[in-house]
Amino acid sequence: MKTAQELRAGQVIEIDGQPWVILKAEFNKSGRNSAVVKMKMKNILTGGGQEIVYKADDKLDQIILDRKEVTYSYFADPLYVFMDTEYNQIEIEKDDLGDVVNFIEDGMTDVCEAVFYNDKVISVELPITIVRQIVYTEPAVRGDTSGKVMKSGKLANGHEIQIPAFIDTDDFIEIDTRTGEYKARAKV
Amino acid sequence: MSRQWDVFCAVVDNFGDAGVCWRLSKQLAAEHGLDVCLWIDQPEVLSRLCPDVQAGRDMQTINGVTVCRWTGSSLPRPQAAVVIEAFACELPDAAVDAMAARERPPLWINLEYLSAEDWVEGSHGLWSVHARSRLRKAFFFPGFTTATGGLLRESGLEKQRQDFLAHEKAPFLAGLGLPPRAGERLLSLFAYPDAPLVAMLQSLAEGSQPWACLVPDGPLAAEVGKVCGQPLITGRPCSLASLRVLRLPFLSQQDYDRLLWACDLNIVRGEDSFVRAQWAGQPMLWQPYRQAEAAHEAKLAAFLARYTMAWPPTLAHALQDWDMAWCRGRWDTVAWETLQSRMGDWQQATQEWRKKQADLPDLASKLVQFYTDWL
Repeated sequence: MKTAQELRAGQVIEIDGQPWVILKAEFNKSGRNSAVVKMKMKNILTGGGQEIVYKADDKLDQIILDRKEVTYSYFADPLYVFMDTEYNQIEIEKDDLGDVVNFIEDGMTDVCEAVFYNDKVISVELPITIVRQIVYTEPAVRGDTSGKVMKSGKLANGHEIQIPAFIDTDDFIEIDTRTGEYKARAKV
Repeated sequence: MSRQWDVFCAVVDNFGDAGVCWRLSKQLAAEHGLDVCLWIDQPEVLSRLCPDVQAGRDMQTINGVTVCRWTGSSLPRPQAAVVIEAFACELPDAAVDAMAARERPPLWINLEYLSAEDWVEGSHGLWSVHARSRLRKAFFFPGFTTATGGLLRESGLEKQRQDFLAHEKAPFLAGLGLPPRAGERLLSLFAYPDAPLVAMLQSLAEGSQPWACLVPDGPLAAEVGKVCGQPLITGRPCSLASLRVLRLPFLSQQDYDRLLWACDLNIVRGEDSFVRAQWAGQPMLWQPYRQAEAAHEAKLAAFLARYTMAWPPTLAHALQDWDMAWCRGRWDTVAWETLQSRMGDWQQATQEWRKKQADLPDLASKLVQFYTDWL
């Protein structure tokens, strides 16, 4: 068991017999050195969401999930198909991928992690940093190299991301998959 | 539908825990017709606030509230519709099991601490699930906005205050042993021991404005006596230049309210006196309970931001500086002089805050509404 204040986003806990993945955990001091933790969670079986609050030292059952390295193979509507190191195919629906779907594109070679609960794949996690090519962006305004002025850039799968003005079409960038935001220009 | 509500109170320090729980219990019984049982682990603390409570009795009924000594083996009443853990006190496993064993468990509420911080709105009314029993528990946060649980406020409180100011203030003060002095302002002092008492009393003594500092009985009175150079004797004022200091006897809740109403400035601490000073509508200085990592400063800043939002900027900044300095153990003379010179504006601003808060539903009513919605 873990106390509520030890839990972090991405971990899974069991509440009332159901597995819930923590999407956000917010710690707040309430009074006289006690504290509460508010958590936003998603039921990994039903997809339903809820917000709950616990005293910081309340104990909860954490579920340790099985993980397996996978790489992306192809999209067979409505399923995204990944392959593990033993060439087993793992299929997952778009909704279960969440924001990860924004960064899935044909030919990607990132080593991802498929997450299983009771032998059922419930999500796929990308590496924290991935590299993607900008297939289109408006030309930069001359002179701005500060990185503070942002513009929209399109990835190969059509997803748009905010990038600094100095990034050009065909440039490669690093993306932080925890936030889904531009991180740096990539040297490829 | 049972009208039994059980309130559990663990006394942690001083009189705040018992004070808040007693006010809540009385109000639930008197204004909402509920059969309230207050389980308190130290009834002797409550007996000082309410002399009708006999410290040695394990069970008694006072002001329509059943007061029971909370021991390790106490269980909520079998018919209790609502069980409240006040100030996040923890019910023992046996009590939780007793609730879980019922065909229809009661509404279980964790009544949290008061805070003006923004996060309170997002956490008020949320639930947790007890890992072992699987009982659900609601988190109820007092606060200063409609999206929180509100503040404790009895329905007749403002009328009592008005009546007191019109007819009873002079005899009340005379009864405390303070002969009136022309032009003198009154200050009530209730603070944690780390407050900058020496600097404050020196500043008041050396100022041109005469003040009388009224110190309710307790450990602080001894500390103030050290600053005055002599032990304070109840009812006998001690003079320090333009300042008079008077030790008061231990005051009941009702008399402490009257003291707050009668004074021009109230220095308060913690939670219970903090809320009562706001209903007094007089200028006040708040010292929050000291917490690790200076969490109390964030709470003070959040309150001051709300409290002074509609104030003239000079006045607001002066109070923010003065109160934060007090909280950090320093006396801000500049801010104090600014506030003192604008006493009229300050009083008007605090009255407006009182009226604004009084327009919101009170905590007991919101608890009852929460229960009704839960049903």
